[in-house]
Amino acid sequence: MEVLKEKVEEEEAAEREEAAERAERAKTEKMMRPGEPRKDENFMTQEMLRDLEKKVSEIVIPSVEEPVILTQDLIDTSNLPPSYKSNSTKEEHLLQVADNYSHQYSHLCPDRVPLFLYPLNECDVPKFVSTTIRPTLMPYPELYNWDTCAQFVSDFLTMVLLPDPLKPPSHLYSSTTVLRYQKGNSFDFSMLLCSMLIGAGYDAYCVNGYGSQDLCHMDLSREVCPLTMKPKEIIKSEEKQPPKKYAIKPPRDLNSKFEQDQELKKQLQLKAEEEKRRREEEEKLVEEEKEKPDPLHGLRVHCWVLVLSGKREVPESFFIDPLTGRSYPTQDDHFLGIESLWNHRNYWINMQDCWNCCKDLIFDLGDPVKWEYMLPGPEKHRLALSEEDDETLNDEDDVEDLGKEDEEKSFDMPSSWVMQIQISPEAFETRCPNGKKVIQYKKAQVEKWAPYLNNNGLMCRLTTYQDLECTKVLEIKEWYQNREDMLELKHMNKTTGLCIDYFKSGHPQALRVHSYKSMQPEMDRVMEFYESARVDGLIKREETPKTMTEYYTGRPDFLSYRHINFGPRVKKPTQCTADSNPRPIVKITECFHRNPAKSADEDVAERVFLINEERIQLRYHRREDHITTSKREFLRRTEVDSKGNKVIMTPDMCISFEVEPMEHTKKLLYQYETMMQLKAAEKVSRHQAWESELEVLEILKLREEEDEDHTLTISIYDTKRNEKSREYREAMERVLHEEHLRQVETQLDYLAPFLAQLPPGEKLTRWQAIRLKDECLSDFKQRLIDKANLIQARFEKETQELQKKQQWYQENQVTLTPEDEDLYLSYCSQAMFRIRILEQRLNRHKELAPLKYLALEEKLYKDPRLMDLVKVYA
Amino acid sequence: MSRMYDSMEPKVIDDDMLKLAVMEQGPQEEAGQLAKQEGILFKDVLSLQLDFQNILRIDNLWQFENLQKLQLNNNIIERIEGLENLTHLIWLDLSFNNIETIEGLDTLVNLEDLSLFNNRISRIDSLDTLVKLQVLSLGNNQISNLMNLVYLRKFKCLRTLSLSGNPITEAEEYKMFIHAYLPDLVYLDFRCIDEQVKELAKIKHQFSIDELKHRENVMELRAEEEKAKKDMLEEHKLAFIEYLNGSFLFDSMYADDTEGNKLSYLPGVNELLEVYKDKFVIICLNIFEYGLKQQEKRKIELDTFNECMLEAIHENQEQGKFKIAKFEEKHMLNLSAIREETDLPTIEKKIVECSEDINELFNVLMTLEMQLVEQLEETINIFERNIIDLVGTFIENVQGLMAQCRDLENHHHEKLLEISINTLEKILKGELDEDLPDSVRALFVDKDTIVNAVGASHDIHLLKIDNREDELVTGINTWCTHLVDKIHRDEITRNRKRVKEINQYTDHMQSELDNLEFGDIID
Repeated sequence: MEVLKEKVEEEEAAEREEAAERAERAKTEKMMRPGEPRKDENFMTQEMLRDLEKKVSEIVIPSVEEPVILTQDLIDTSNLPPSYKSNSTKEEHLLQVADNYSHQYSHLCPDRVPLFLYPLNECDVPKFVSTTIRPTLMPYPELYNWDTCAQFVSDFLTMVLLPDPLKPPSHLYSSTTVLRYQKGNSFDFSMLLCSMLIGAGYDAYCVNGYGSQDLCHMDLSREVCPLTMKPKEIIKSEEKQPPKKYAIKPPRDLNSKFEQDQELKKQLQLKAEEEKRRREEEEKLVEEEKEKPDPLHGLRVHCWVLVLSGKREVPESFFIDPLTGRSYPTQDDHFLGIESLWNHRNYWINMQDCWNCCKDLIFDLGDPVKWEYMLPGPEKHRLALSEEDDETLNDEDDVEDLGKEDEEKSFDMPSSWVMQIQISPEAFETRCPNGKKVIQYKKAQVEKWAPYLNNNGLMCRLTTYQDLECTKVLEIKEWYQNREDMLELKHMNKTTGLCIDYFKSGHPQALRVHSYKSMQPEMDRVMEFYESARVDGLIKREETPKTMTEYYTGRPDFLSYRHINFGPRVKKPTQCTADSNPRPIVKITECFHRNPAKSADEDVAERVFLINEERIQLRYHRREDHITTSKREFLRRTEVDSKGNKVIMTPDMCISFEVEPMEHTKKLLYQYETMMQLKAAEKVSRHQAWESELEVLEILKLREEEDEDHTLTISIYDTKRNEKSREYREAMERVLHEEHLRQVETQLDYLAPFLAQLPPGEKLTRWQAIRLKDECLSDFKQRLIDKANLIQARFEKETQELQKKQQWYQENQVTLTPEDEDLYLSYCSQAMFRIRILEQRLNRHKELAPLKYLALEEKLYKDPRLMDLVKVYA
Repeated sequence: MSRMYDSMEPKVIDDDMLKLAVMEQGPQEEAGQLAKQEGILFKDVLSLQLDFQNILRIDNLWQFENLQKLQLNNNIIERIEGLENLTHLIWLDLSFNNIETIEGLDTLVNLEDLSLFNNRISRIDSLDTLVKLQVLSLGNNQISNLMNLVYLRKFKCLRTLSLSGNPITEAEEYKMFIHAYLPDLVYLDFRCIDEQVKELAKIKHQFSIDELKHRENVMELRAEEEKAKKDMLEEHKLAFIEYLNGSFLFDSMYADDTEGNKLSYLPGVNELLEVYKDKFVIICLNIFEYGLKQQEKRKIELDTFNECMLEAIHENQEQGKFKIAKFEEKHMLNLSAIREETDLPTIEKKIVECSEDINELFNVLMTLEMQLVEQLEETINIFERNIIDLVGTFIENVQGLMAQCRDLENHHHEKLLEISINTLEKILKGELDEDLPDSVRALFVDKDTIVNAVGASHDIHLLKIDNREDELVTGINTWCTHLVDKIHRDEITRNRKRVKEINQYTDHMQSELDNLEFGDIID
């Protein structure tokens, strides 16, 4: 206010001088509606304006027929507290101040639109915008940071367009109402988000300004979906070490330098051409994607949130669009201008020019030239001074300021009229209205669901399209949660038909990734495993129709790789399934890591079993300083010599090449033993291969089952969903309740009515005590007898009535109509039932009565008031 | 000894017995037939059993180099001998013999299981080198001293011990004693040791064990210190400046110098000596520091050189490996094609192709190798030059410092001469106040004597300095020539080895091809 007043004075002074006045006019002219194209400014005539208005009205019409509008009649205001329905004196005062402020403003800047200061609330009461903000710290840790908080607000509310896209709304509802109906326009979104951010300690403001069409309509279809963006690969620049002192010189290069140069040039040319073509294509694409020019560009009113740097370690000021929950730098193209901004303490008008959108704006709210404040708030925004020299001057100012503050402290912003923001845990978990939300991005669509809403645990689905019109599906990604089979993400590529399932650790078969085209066995597929969860250390198993490759790690036998080639299945006469008739194995290749305990010449690196050819090939590890490796090939064919004896081993059954020939390996005995071991190993490997095949089948079966019944896991801490824990809790409550009842009963004092007859405060004599006891007992006995009598009486009465009825029936049996007879019969059965019950009750009473009597007697004996007296006597 | 070995002739371990044992215990069935065909070499045998043979003396076992398990139980052996060569032995059974002392096991460092059950041993010792020992069976012997068991603390791997049937087992605290002193033991006398009992024993013998441990620690520390000192000296020796970090050289100069010591009694000489010593030591220290620095420099030089050599060789290896892999891939395909081919001329053509391939591989590999040899030769020459330069500068500088030493000595000599002559004059004049020992006074007879004495002292000093210098220079020169020689030698061996390898490989490939040819013709 102070500055405004000063300005008024200034202006009056200026009026006297014409030149100054001209300058002033120029200034106000500059403060034209921001974002508007500048060149028009000088040539805008009345007619043109009228034209524009007409056009505008024409264009606006179709957007009005948006179906979802939260109108006032729909709002139930009956339950709202009185602060919603009326204004306190302080608020009245504030409104007067605001009114004054607004008048001065419109006087000084007649070209600018009126301020958005005190719209009506849901009860049609004008409320100042700052008091509508209700800073609240939410009890959910997820809402503590701005990004998750903004995402929550955008998910939780459904967007409603402003009734008039060119004007701020006439009504601004409290967050209570907005949250109840989960609907709102950008102003409602911003107020809610701002309340939550300020509550969480951020320096946040609501901004009333102008946004692009996409922003106002929450249209993300020209934005790239954040889920499709790939994390940027960090390119590691390899440090080139300087050549060492004794590095050997490379052999002389005998190739022609000229030819190389020519070749290089040719390639460069080709590359350049390709680059050009690609760029052209890109440009074309960009052209296609470009939005249609918006006739209302720069006029659409929007409200968003500004977070200033400083608090909560925010390094730089930024905008949050509450409709989408995304953050933008303050220089972003979507934000075309700012009229004013406010938080729960104060209100500021932007006095800066917005011809270049918000790019040149400086968010130093302490600068009264750039930002016109309404209340000289208690915590002042300090003007950021650039020069050191001003510091002394500033100090003096401070003293003055202090004095001023004391004077004007008489008025500050009244506290908010809105109730604390409350979101129930259920609503928080459900997030979106009805638990579902669909967002359209450029070439992509994202669908979100609340947990446990879909019975297969589906949480989010991203569909990527090939074209802008979203007709050809490129790929689908589905995220799951709480699934029993630990499935986390399902990635389906529609063009190649490839499916990739990702699992969290904990799948019964330790599955990590499963990529496949069909669930049929013996097809192309890759399975990756959590190798630490598996006994055999299997990392990956790749399959093609004819082969299977397995990768292992950390095995005690150093096996790292096994490759199996299958031959065509032998047709058997009987019908066989895959597991009873395995494909014949043609070849098994196994690779091993180096076993440091063995010498290289004895450590097998590769073992190939050629099963059809009955050959086994061994390749050993290479020695440190060699380039060749030892090899050995065995023919395991058993032959018979001329005499018909089995030949055990002949030198030509083993061909071996040894890098360092050794004596003992030449021996037939050694070769024979090696071959025997290899035969055994072959058997084991074949068995392993067979088992792997079985395992694949098993996993596929398991996967199919899991996909079908998709049970969801429920955390034991989830008291609402966990059936077991709920039952347990209810049982506990019941037990507690019963315990309580029992306690009440035990406290029942039988002696009280008799003690009341005696004079109070006196000690009981023995005689009195005995009399008391006797009285109590006789009273109880009487009660028991009365009860018995009562039951007896009822029983007799019922019997008598029945007898009477029977008599009547026998007398009139002949004349009775069938209906009467039916009536009689039903009466009889009912009466018989009553009689039987009464009889049972009587019997039971007779049984229990003496017991009850004895119990009371016992209890009275033990009563502390009578105990010693009666006992002695007894 | 209930066995009546009188009735049986003691046997000698001879070739026949060994062959028989090897055949009997060797491979059976099919493998046995093969073994019979070929015969088994003694050095291939891993385990041998010679029990109940009435052997008196262990002999003739030296051929079994790779033997891992030897059973000589139930014989009448009286001494442990003839096992020195069996260094791979893991398991040795000498139970039920007549052995009186443990001996002759020092070379069997891999032994894990030793059984000396039922012998006549009275003392446990001579097992120091058997650090891997896990199982020790000493039951039914004559061990009577409980303190003898403390010796077994040395064996960190020992887990099983049997001592039953020894006189010591009758001692009351025998078990507790063992539990306390050998806490790593798991089995004693064929029983698992109860943890609780172990705890009890520990508490019981805590005091003495603590003392023992303390002593052991002190010993260990001392050994470590000694080792550190030795290492240090070794390092200095590498730099050829050992014993120069102090007054060792100076002291050694005066150690054999009787005249010099006598002269130090003269007035003023002591002070002179002090100053001289200080200066001398400073120069020595300079040499020492310089030597260390130079050593560091040489080491870095050598390291870089080695690294580069390794890198080059490795890269060459990789290339060779790659070439071979490529060749093998192709070769395999060719071979299988030949096998399947039936047309004789085509086969021959293909075989020729193959052998050409082999030749080409040979050429390629040899070219690579020759290239590497050339490159390495060049690098080695550069290195040689550099290292010789380094050594040259080192020697030069050290010689300069040594010359300073000599100057000091000359200076000192002059001063000393002056004092001596002065003193002589005084003595001749009878003006000397102080008392001099008779032996010193004897020097001051005439001028010649004293000058000779001082000169002799000076000569000795100079000789010492010269010696030290010579030692240093020869040391470093020998080192340098050795190093260069070794590098050349290594390079030559490497080259030979590689060439041999390549030849072997191509020969093998060629012979394989020839065999194939041969086989095909037969078919």
